[in-house]
Amino acid sequence: MPEAQRRAATIERVVPKIGMEVHVELATRTKMFSRVPSPAAAGSAGLEEASPNSLIDPVTLGLPGALPVPNERAVELSIRVGLALGCEIARRTQWDRKSYFYPDLPKGYQTSQLDHPVCGPGLVTVPATQETDPFDIRITRAHLEEDAGKLSHELPGGVKTDFSIADYNRAGTPLLEIVTEPDFTSAEQCVAFAKWLRDVCRAMGATEGVMQRGHMRFEPNINATLELAGGESIVTPIVEVKNLNSFRAVAGAIDYELRAQGERWVEAGQEMGPGAKSTRGWDDDKCRTFLQRTKEDAHDYRYFPCPDLMPVEIDPALVATIRDALPELPAQRAARYRETLGLGWKEASALTEEPATSGFADACIRAAGEDVKAQTAAANLVLQSGFKRANESGESVETLGVTPEQIGGIALMRAQGTLSAQAADAVFESLRVSDESPEDVSSRLGLVTVSDDGALSTWVDETLADPKNAASVEDVRAGKVAAVGRLMGGVMQRSGGQADAKRVREMILERLSG
Amino acid sequence: MTGGGADAWLDRPVREIARAVRTGEVLCTTLVEASFARIDALDEEINAVVSLERERALARSAVIDDAVKRGEDPGALAGVPALVKDNLCTDWGTTTCASMMLEGYRSPFSATSVHKLEDAGAVVLGKANMDEFAMGGSGEHSALGVTRNPLDTSRSPGGSSSGSAASVASGMVPLALGSDTGGSVRQPASFCGVVGVKPTYGRVSRYGLVAFASSLDQVGVLARDADSAALGLSAIEGHDPLDMTSAQRGHSGCHEARDVRGLKVGVPRALLDGVDAGVAAGFENASSALVARGVELVDVEMPSVEGAVSAYYVLAPAEASSNLARFDGVRYGRRAAMEAGASVGEMIARSRGEGFGEEVQRRIVIGTFVLSAGYHDAYYTTAQRVRRLVKNDFQRVFESGCAAVLTPTAPSAAFELGSFENDPLALYLQDAFTIPANLAGLPSVSVPCPGGASIGSGLPVGAMLTGHAFDERTVMSLAGAIGT
Repeated sequence: MPEAQRRAATIERVVPKIGMEVHVELATRTKMFSRVPSPAAAGSAGLEEASPNSLIDPVTLGLPGALPVPNERAVELSIRVGLALGCEIARRTQWDRKSYFYPDLPKGYQTSQLDHPVCGPGLVTVPATQETDPFDIRITRAHLEEDAGKLSHELPGGVKTDFSIADYNRAGTPLLEIVTEPDFTSAEQCVAFAKWLRDVCRAMGATEGVMQRGHMRFEPNINATLELAGGESIVTPIVEVKNLNSFRAVAGAIDYELRAQGERWVEAGQEMGPGAKSTRGWDDDKCRTFLQRTKEDAHDYRYFPCPDLMPVEIDPALVATIRDALPELPAQRAARYRETLGLGWKEASALTEEPATSGFADACIRAAGEDVKAQTAAANLVLQSGFKRANESGESVETLGVTPEQIGGIALMRAQGTLSAQAADAVFESLRVSDESPEDVSSRLGLVTVSDDGALSTWVDETLADPKNAASVEDVRAGKVAAVGRLMGGVMQRSGGQADAKRVREMILERLSG
Repeated sequence: MTGGGADAWLDRPVREIARAVRTGEVLCTTLVEASFARIDALDEEINAVVSLERERALARSAVIDDAVKRGEDPGALAGVPALVKDNLCTDWGTTTCASMMLEGYRSPFSATSVHKLEDAGAVVLGKANMDEFAMGGSGEHSALGVTRNPLDTSRSPGGSSSGSAASVASGMVPLALGSDTGGSVRQPASFCGVVGVKPTYGRVSRYGLVAFASSLDQVGVLARDADSAALGLSAIEGHDPLDMTSAQRGHSGCHEARDVRGLKVGVPRALLDGVDAGVAAGFENASSALVARGVELVDVEMPSVEGAVSAYYVLAPAEASSNLARFDGVRYGRRAAMEAGASVGEMIARSRGEGFGEEVQRRIVIGTFVLSAGYHDAYYTTAQRVRRLVKNDFQRVFESGCAAVLTPTAPSAAFELGSFENDPLALYLQDAFTIPANLAGLPSVSVPCPGGASIGSGLPVGAMLTGHAFDERTVMSLAGAIGT
C-alpha cells in the first residue's frame, strides 16, 4: 500500500494473535547436568544470597574433560508438568546442542532438545477467572534445557565498568521451556494463562514460582490483523518479547505491542513477510518494548544430537504411576470449593494458592467427612481461625500445630451444633499445643453447647422466675420481642456460656407466649 | 638393584615388572629413576614428553615401595612407570593438549582412566606429546614441537598419540595411555612397532579426556607386547557414573589370554589393494602366524567401509567444532590482548585464531560448515547413515561366525616427516583402516607384524584386529598370537 494511503487509513479493529514461550526453572536439588547445588532448588536462598561463582564445578564451567550426566528428577518434574498440560510424553527423549558464542554460555553451546522433547503436543483449558471466561490453548511442546550464567556491567554500588563480570551460578540450572500455539487473543488471556501455569507448576512441585527470582520467564510472540475501514486487512510481523518476569510486564508488553504494531505499519509499512520477525526487550520503567534484533542477524544454531548424552528412555509404566499420583490442579480445586462448599472466589483461591496450604486445607475438609455443612465449616476454620493465627505469627496454617483430623473434628461439632463459633476458635487455639481430640478439649474446657431440653429448662425457668427479670418478662409478654435478648443473656450466664442459644430463644418464647 | 640392572627391567613385559615390584625384587623408585634417566637421555631428540612431574612420581614410588615392605599388594601394575597423553586431565602438572590455547592450563581434576591406572599401582611420570587436540596423524601438529619416530628420527611416529607411542618404542616407559578417535592409538603403534589397543566405545570412561569427537573418542593403551597392553586396559576399564556413555558391563577379562585355536577371522581382501609392498608382506606374515596358531582365515566382504573415511571427516569435525567451542578465552585458556573498545565477539575470535593451530582450525571450519543450515542434511545426516552401514558390515561379518576382522593398521610404514605438509587430504586417507572401528564403536588392536626389519623399508608395520563389541579379550588374545 502506498505511504500516503497508509497514513490516511483508519484502523477499525486490531485482532491479536499471540503465542507464549515460558521458561520454568525446575526446583531440583542439583543442576541439570552436574551435582552442584542449583540456585532454583526448593528452599534454596537463591542467586541473591549465593556469593558469585560459588555454585560451580567443572561441568558448570565447561572445563576441558568434564562430562554432563542428566538429572533424573528434572526429567520427572517435566513429565509431571507435561501431564498436567495434557501433553503426550515421549517414549524416548534426546538431547541436542544449540551452538552460539556468548560469555555467559560456558560450553559455546546450550544443551537443549530439538526433535525429541520430553513433552509433545497437549491441550489445556484455562479455567474461568474473574477477568476471563474459560478458554483453550494448544501446547506445542515442552522441552528441557540448561540456563546460562549472568553478565553484569556494574560493580557493587552501581559503578559502571568497561568490562563484563560473569557469574556462572545460574549456568546449568534446569529449565523447562513450554511453548504454546498462537491461540491467545488478548493480554488478559495471556496473563490468566501465566498465572494458571504458575499455580500448576507449583502444585506439581516443579518450581517455587517466585517471579522476582526469575523462577519463571515469559516470552510472548505477538502480532495482529489490522482491519481497515473499507474492508482491507493487514497482518503485522511477529514480535517476540524476551524475558518478561512479572505478570504486569506480560500485560504491559502485549498491550504496548498491539498499539505499536499498528503505528509501525502506518509509519513504516511493516507487514508480515519472510524475514520480518524481530525480537524486542521490555523496559519496565518506560513501559515500552525496544528492538533487540531482526531476522537478518538471526543465529544459525547448528543443532545436532549431543554425543555426550544418551537418549533417555521413558518407561510408560513410570508415566502411568506419575499420572495416577498427580494432585488436583489448584484452579480445579478452587472451582470445586466454590461450587460444592459455596465459597467465594477470594476464599477459594486463598485456600488453594500455596501448594502446602492447599494440601493441608483439603485434608481438613476431607477429615470433616461427607457432610457438606461440616466440610464448609472446616474450610471456614482454616480461613478464619487458621489464617488469623498464621498471619499473626508469620507461620503457615499447616505449621500451627493443629492437625487436619483435629480441624475436621471441630468442623463436625460445629455442623452438629455442639460448638459455637467462638467456642470452636477457642478449641482450635488449645489444640495448637495438645494432641487431644476436639471433643475432649471442648468438654475439659466446658465449651460444649448444651441443647438438651432438661438442662436448659432449669436455667430458663430460674431466669424467668428471677425478680430482676420481671420487667423483661412483661415486655416480652406484651409483644416486645427485642426484650428476649436480655432474658437469653441471663440463661447463657447461668449455663456458663454452654447453652444452645437458638434453643434457649425458642424455649423462652414458648413459655411466655402461652 | 641399581644401574644397568634396573634399566634392563624397563624393557621387560609389564606383567614381569609388576611381579618383581610386588615381590620386592626391584624397587619402584629404582624403576622410576631409570625411566627418568632414559627420558633425559633420549627425549631431546624424540620430543615424546611435554611435561614431567618428577617429585610427585618419586613420592608415589616411595609410597608403593613402603606398601610392598608392609606386605601390601600395590596392584597389577605395581611400580610400572607410565606416561599419559596430554589430553588426559591430571590434577597435577599441566594439561595442554599440545595447544597454545591451553598453555599452562591446570585441571582441577584427573581423568578417571588416569586415576584407575595409578590405583592399579602404575606411576605416571608426566604427559606425552600429541598432535594438537588429538587432530592429526603424524605427530607434527603439536604446538610443543614435532615428535620423532625413535626407530628413524627422520620419520613420523604417527599420531595423534605420537608421544605415547614414541616413548614406549624408545623404552622410556613400558606403558602409556593415548586416545583414539580415528586411529590415534593404533596408527602410531604401527609406525613405532608397538602394540596399541582402542577398546570398545564405552569400555573406558572418557571423564577427563579432553573431547575431540565424543561419539568416537576412546582412551587406549600402548605397550611393547599384547599382554602388557591388555594388563593396562584391564586396569583402566569399567563403568564410571561421571560418563553417561560408559557401559555398565562386567570386566572384559582381557588380562588373561584365551585359546585362539579354531577361531575364524575375516579378511576383507578388497580393501587391501593399494597398500605398500612392505605392508602387504608384513600382513602375510601376520596371517601366517595366526594360521600357525590354528586360526582359520576367511575372505569377507565389507562394501560400506569404503565410505568410512568420508563419513568420519564429516562427523569428527562436526563434533569437534562443537566440543572446541568452549575455548573462547573467557574463563580459562588463551585470551588475546585487545585494544580498548573491542567487542567480546572480536576477543573470542582473535583468541581462537591465536590459540588454535592450523589443523585444528581447518577441522573447526569443516565441522561448522557441515552443521550449517542448508548443508546439515547433505553432510551430517548422510554421514550418520554411512556410519550405520559400516556398523552393519561388521555385524554381517560377525554373524557369519568371525571372531574378528584382520587388516593392516595403516597403508604404509612410518613416512618421512613433512610428507603431507601441503596435502592434508592425503594424510586423512592414511586412516582408512583404523576409522571403521571407531565408527562402529568396536575394540581394535594394532600389533607389529612378525618379521620386523626384514620387511620392505626395514620399518615395522602393524596388523589390526577388530572384534565384537566388549570382547577385548579375544582381540587381545589374537594380537598375542601374532606377536609371539
